[in-house]
Amino acid sequence: MTDIAKEIRKTLLKLANQARGPHIGSALGCVDIFSALYFKVLRLDPYESRDIFLLSKAHSAMSLYSTFYHKGLMSEEMLFSYYQNGGTLPAHTDRNTHKYIEISAGSLGHALPMAIGMAMAFKKDKQDRNIYVLMGDGEIQEGSIWEALMLGAKLGLNNIVALIDRNDLQGYGRASELLDYEPLEDKFRAFSWDCERVDGHCEDSIINAINNKKDKPLCVICDTTKGKGVSFMEDKLEWHYYLVTDEIYARALEELK
Amino acid sequence: MRNTIASCIIEVAKKDSNVFLISGDAGLGVWDSFKEEYKDQYINPGINESLCVSMASGLAMQGKKAIYYNIAPFVIMRPYEQVRLDICYQELPVILVGTGSGLTYMPSGMTHYALEDIGLALSMPNLDIFSPCDPLEVRACFEYAYKSNKPSYIRIPKAGEPNLHNGEIADISKLQFLLQNNSEILILSHSSISQEALKAGEILGCDVATKPFINSFEFNLEAYKYIFVVEEHFSYGGLGTFLKNYTNAKIEILAVSNKYVHLIGNCEYGREYFGIDSKGIVKSIKERL
Repeated sequence: MTDIAKEIRKTLLKLANQARGPHIGSALGCVDIFSALYFKVLRLDPYESRDIFLLSKAHSAMSLYSTFYHKGLMSEEMLFSYYQNGGTLPAHTDRNTHKYIEISAGSLGHALPMAIGMAMAFKKDKQDRNIYVLMGDGEIQEGSIWEALMLGAKLGLNNIVALIDRNDLQGYGRASELLDYEPLEDKFRAFSWDCERVDGHCEDSIINAINNKKDKPLCVICDTTKGKGVSFMEDKLEWHYYLVTDEIYARALEELK
Repeated sequence: MRNTIASCIIEVAKKDSNVFLISGDAGLGVWDSFKEEYKDQYINPGINESLCVSMASGLAMQGKKAIYYNIAPFVIMRPYEQVRLDICYQELPVILVGTGSGLTYMPSGMTHYALEDIGLALSMPNLDIFSPCDPLEVRACFEYAYKSNKPSYIRIPKAGEPNLHNGEIADISKLQFLLQNNSEILILSHSSISQEALKAGEILGCDVATKPFINSFEFNLEAYKYIFVVEEHFSYGGLGTFLKNYTNAKIEILAVSNKYVHLIGNCEYGREYFGIDSKGIVKSIKERL
């Protein structure tokens, strides 16, 4: 875990504690993906030709907001208005709230098909811009994902990188038990996408997989642990919904010191 | 009307390279010239309605004018959530074109009828809804939608409908009169059933108008003593329901009751069965006066 990822996690816990909202497990689990993307991969300037990041599993919005804060893209005041009466930031992203929040999301299975449209537009305009989409492994149970996969390679959309936060825990059980969808690499490759499987907590592995992208749309399966960084939350189903009380916050923060 | 909207789309695609047409594997023969001449502005991704709507949203986010064409149920009902969230919630200027309004696809079966599509569409904020009655209204609706920065849904019948108006439509947001007799009775309609409304109005000697821009607020109905809204749509949820919410005028709705249609026969047969052909309209109005 990098220093910046540790700081994002601390902020996340503070945010979750203040908000008394769910999804801390999901948010902690994808921090390393966010830190790799926002600190090492995404081209954010100039704004007009920036790379696009679409948070499809938008219940992890807290993680995105905290990353924005540490990247200097969001003020502390705005960050801590999350979930508050009269605040700015909802639990699932709203594109009207921030210039780098590209889509309003929350219902699953929407962003990859939207990415197809964006990628087509960039190709048509000969714009050298990439689109990154982060999906949950539970989310890929949605049929619309597979509709988009069928089309992505056919159109030669090598400007899309789909990342799967493969934590094997969804709202009410293990994704792999609810639906027997492994081996995932074979499925993505069968749809003519390139596919890499990496340790989703190792930034270098994520970055290498992206940098080695060839001439096809790429899927990076990021094996992660839900609740990563807080031992008593790690790989625990209940932390999909449990709230971060003051006592929990203090215990969790102690682990990240 | 199908050929008219195809012509309209081809005209804007010719002038504007940002126009994209997504055809959900529908419109056999309609897009042959389009996909040849504007091949980098055309895509038929196959049978995947959610994808079609969401990718239209993605195109619109990057400055493209995306048009999604398919049979009406597969434009607004099957991908309802994608229309709700990806188009309307994000207020993107996508044009959704649905063919087979009302019962015009009879006897294909209920899966292919668009009898509750306006009800669904009205439930979504930001969405402009158009139901033109003839090729002239189609053109005006499309031109309005194309210039608009809002999401639009244009529902059209099948093909081959005649012009009911005599000339071009000046302002599509207003009521479009087909017959004016200074009557205290107005028959108000939309889509191709307006042909039947017009015949009924001629028999009864009353005023007849269409409201192609379903949810525009450019109307004043208070002067009429009786208003009959004739629509090839479920009686609850269509234009009549919309107007009842926004006017104190006395409105009666002549439409298809909110029940699934199991009737076999062609569209004319269906209209007669449900009492929305000209004879049925005349009979209903006489009974109510």
